[in-house]
Formats: sequence, C-alpha cells, structure tokens
Amino acid sequence: MKLLEKTSKYYFIFLSLFSLLTIIIFYYSIQFMVYDDIDEKLKHESERINYSFQEQGKLPSSNYIVDIISIKDNLPYTNVFKDTLIYEMYEKDLIPYRNYEFHTPIGKERYKITLRNILLDSDDLIRGLFVTTALILLLMLTGLFFLNQKISKHLWNPFFKNLTKLRSYDITKKNKVCFETSDVNEFKELNNVVSSLITQIELDFQNLKEFNENVSHEMQTPLAVMRNKMELLLESKNLDEREIEMVQATYRETTKLSKIGRSLALISKIENQEFNQNQNLNIKEIVEDVLNNFEEMIAFKKNDLKTTLIDKILILDPILANILFTNLIKNAIQHNKEEGFIFLCLDNEKFVIENSGDVLSEEPEKLFKRFHKNKYSSESMGLGLAINRKICELYGFTLEYKHHEGIHRFVLFFSEL
Amino acid sequence: MKILVIEDNIELLKDIKEYLEREGNVCEIAKDYQSALSKINDFQYDLLVIDITLPDGSGLDIIREVKQENIDVGIIVISAKNALDDKINGLELGADDYLTKPFYLPELNARIKALYRRKIYNGSNDIIFNEIKIIPEKRLVLVNEQALTLTQKEYDIINFFIANKNRLLTKEAIAEHIWGDHIENSDSFNFIYTHLANLRKKISDFGGQDYIKSIYRVGYKFSDQE
Repeated sequence: MKLLEKTSKYYFIFLSLFSLLTIIIFYYSIQFMVYDDIDEKLKHESERINYSFQEQGKLPSSNYIVDIISIKDNLPYTNVFKDTLIYEMYEKDLIPYRNYEFHTPIGKERYKITLRNILLDSDDLIRGLFVTTALILLLMLTGLFFLNQKISKHLWNPFFKNLTKLRSYDITKKNKVCFETSDVNEFKELNNVVSSLITQIELDFQNLKEFNENVSHEMQTPLAVMRNKMELLLESKNLDEREIEMVQATYRETTKLSKIGRSLALISKIENQEFNQNQNLNIKEIVEDVLNNFEEMIAFKKNDLKTTLIDKILILDPILANILFTNLIKNAIQHNKEEGFIFLCLDNEKFVIENSGDVLSEEPEKLFKRFHKNKYSSESMGLGLAINRKICELYGFTLEYKHHEGIHRFVLFFSEL
Repeated sequence: MKILVIEDNIELLKDIKEYLEREGNVCEIAKDYQSALSKINDFQYDLLVIDITLPDGSGLDIIREVKQENIDVGIIVISAKNALDDKINGLELGADDYLTKPFYLPELNARIKALYRRKIYNGSNDIIFNEIKIIPEKRLVLVNEQALTLTQKEYDIINFFIANKNRLLTKEAIAEHIWGDHIENSDSFNFIYTHLANLRKKISDFGGQDYIKSIYRVGYKFSDQE
C-alpha cells in the first residue's frame, strides 16, 4: 500500500471516529441549549403572566397557555418543567413539547397554569447533525486527499528522485550518487544516513576487492617462486627416483594451489560484477572457437562430436562467455569415456550439451558446489561448475543438469525459469 | 639480447635472471620503480619485463615513461594483481605482451623470443635447430627442407620446445602453454604424450633425429645433447 493511501486510510478512520464524537457532543450541547432557551422563555412568560395578574388582575393574552386549573387545596406546590409527547392530527405523529406548570394566586384563588412550547424533534436533530457532519467529513477528506497528493508531488519529489537514483546505483561502477537536496529535515537525515552507508559499503567493497587482489597477488608470487625452484630441482641430475617423485608431487600440488587461487579470484570478480564489457556476441562463434581449441583432444579421446548450431546473438562479457562455454565443453570432454559421444545443440532459447560418461551416484545439485569432486576425476578442482553458476546468476541464465544411465546432459537456458 | 627485469620479489627475480641468462641473454635486474627508471635512462635494453606492483610505484608508470621518452624497447608485463584491469591498462599503454603470475619460466622465455623476433625481424626470421627449421610467419616446420603436416597444437608444442631447447619442460608447463588455464592435468598429460609420439614420428619420417627426450615422470626436454 502506498504511503499516501495508508495515511488517507488513517485520516479517514480518525475523522470518522472524530465525527461520531462530534455528533454526540453536538447533540447533547444543542439539546441542552434548546431546553435552556425554552425553559427561559417559559419562565419569562410565567413571570409576565404573574405580573399581569398582580398589576392588572387579568390574564394577559399568551400563545403558550394551554391550561388553567383552579386549585382547591392548600398543599404546597412547586413549579415543574415536564417533557411530553402529544399526538398531532395534522402531523399524524407524536410531537415533543415542553410544559411548564406554575402556580399563581389570582385574588383569593390559586391556579395552576400550564405553559407549553414545541420542542425540537430529536430524530430530526440527530439526522441533521449527522448529515452536516458527514458533509464536513467528506469535504475534509477530499481536501486532505488533494493536499496529500500535492504534498507528495512536491515534498516527496526529492525522495522519489533519490529512490530512482539509488535503484540505478551500481557499486562496481565508480560514479557517485548525488542526492536531491530537500529542506525537510527527515529527508536530509535520510540522505545523510544513506550517503554514509554508501560510503561505508564502497569502502568495504574496495577493501574486499583489494583483499582479494592482495591474496591473489601475494599468493601467486610465492607460488611462482616455489614452482620455479622445483623446476630447477627437477632439472638437476642428482635426484634419485624417490626424490623426483616427492618434488614432482609438491610441484603438482603447487600448480593446483595456483589454479584454485585463480578460480576463487575469478568467482569473486564475477560476484563483484567486475566483468562488464558487455557486447553483442554470436554464441555460435564462441562455441566453434572453443571446439576448435579442443578439437584434437576430442579426436584423441575418439569422441564422436555432433553439433547443431544456429546464429544466436547475446549481450555478454566476452571473457565470461568464453569461460562459460569452455567450462561446459571441457567438462563434456573430461568426463567422457573413450569412444563416447558429445552432442551440442544451440537454438534461440538454450544451449544443450550431452555426453556419455560414467553413471553418477550423486545428487546433481552437489556438482555445482565449490570443491565438489567425484571419484572418477580426482584431479578436478570442482570449481568449473561453481564458476558457471555464478556467470549464470549474473546474466539470469538457468543451468540444468540431468543424467540418465551414463548420459549426462547440461541445458543452459538463456532466461530464468 | 639485453633484458631488464623489474620485479620486487628477489627470489623470482633471481629465477628469471638465471633462466634467461642460461638462454644466452644479458639480464639485468631492478627491484623497484626508481632503480628501474634510472637503469632505463642510463642503458639501452632490447626488452623490459615489468611487474605492475612495485614497492615505490606502478609498473604501468614505467610503461608510460618509456612511451613518453620514445624509447624503442619491447615490453612484457607480468602481474597477478587484478589481472583483468592490468591487462587492459598495460596493453593500452603500449606493452607488447602480458603474463599472469604464476607463469612458467619456459613460457616467459618463449614469449620473449617471439616478441624479440617480431620487433627485430618483423617476425620474418626463421628459427633453426639442426635439421629443423621453423618459419613463424607461415606457421610452418621444415625437416631437411621438407614441410611437416602438423596440427595447430603440434606446431605450438614444437615451437615451445625449440624456444626452450635443452631445458626441462614439465607436463604442466606444456599443458598450460597449449590450453591456457582451462584444462585439468590428467587428460592433457595423456594427450601430450600421444602428441609427442606423433610429432616424433613425423620428424623421423623426414629423416630428423629424435630430440624429444622423456624425463622420468616429470616432463620432456628437447635436446641434441646427451
């Protein structure tokens, strides 16, 4: 729900309750005032009648008098106000009246005189009040709605602009976010907080990048030295077989370590979106290039290669595209058996690569994990597919793996499933 | 060939120097930016091997300096730091080649020789090893003046061998030279073995000697010496 809708909702709830309360208060206060007014009027009339009796000894003409009764007894009486309902023929309804009974001596006799005045119909009063208040409420709501819209258009304008800027913010690109300034303190504060957050994130990102680079750098140079020294050692003719084997094993592991370092650095570079030289690439050409590179390897393993490729243009980083397809094709060659087959198919939606190989007993999901190895190729670092997965995440591709009785099938969909 | 190697790791520097000197080059070393610059200004070199990360400056600045002064010298960049950016920067500034650490010394040696040939002879001089002759611009190998029919990988292998003749080439170094980073070892080793067998046969078919010597478990050596 939008902020505007939400505030409107609360305004409406509040105003409705508020109106109800106003109606109640108005009702009672108006009623009180009406009674007060009528009572005052009737009292005044009674005083006028009394005065007239005493000064002139006769009953003045009055529209309020409804009844004059002579009283025979000597009991003390008090003057009372009374509400009464009288059925009026012309209205065909009960009409509320206010009666005032007072006692006055006329000569030697005492009379009880009843004055009467019509009262406001409480139903009418409530209805009237309700309608008026509802009208006011409606006016207020429409007013508030338009006011809110105006406010959101003007006051919130910098906020929405900044939101758009933040949405397009890319930490890998080195452009700074310039916030719209606002004289609203809350927005100013928000801008400050987000700015400092961004600075912090950029700093962290930079540190992480530098750390990765440093690890990679600091690790590779010693590895280069180790490897060179071992090469020299292997070249010397004074080693016996056992010693050669030991040096050889160390040499091999050093190579492995260096490859792991490079692969991990590659993964973090993909995660950091450092590969962004996106351009139009013909996937068919990339696949053919990779196949060309492995052509002799395929022939050497006596693998039967079948391809159906069409021209398919995608916008990718050339380095990542090359890594992705090299990994997939290399994988199909490496995990193939002698005289097996490789089948490649590229169409508009997907790239399929199928190869013969050993029957797998593992969960396909595991293959994509870093450092996953299967028992058939202990040499493999298991990072290739993890790298592929990262590349797919970056471009919104989907990589699926299935195997069935020694046939392995990778499907790369050029979209998210 | 006179080469200046600029690299801050002493051990790596020593290895490179030793390797290149055994190839008959004159190799000088510089451990930092300042000494590298003064050496470049004072002496004439055919080739610079530059590490990007130096304690007191960037190797990229050395390339800039060299290009500004119009010094005619081949430049090979070696670096591990943020390889991608450095690669682009280095080549844009005018470096001729790029190697990512850790590289194999035979690889560096082969690159140096190839670059030197490109620079001095525009790539048109032939490489001769006894009865074997390589014509790089045609990617052709002759044995006793008869052309061999080689696959691309076979050509790469023999070229790599002759650039590093009489030196031990480990299987790993050969594999990386042919496929780059991409291949796992076990497969490629068998493949190299088969390829070398083919290569030996092709050379001997035209009366060439068998110069490819297996070094127990480790690799191979291309040599006419015992």
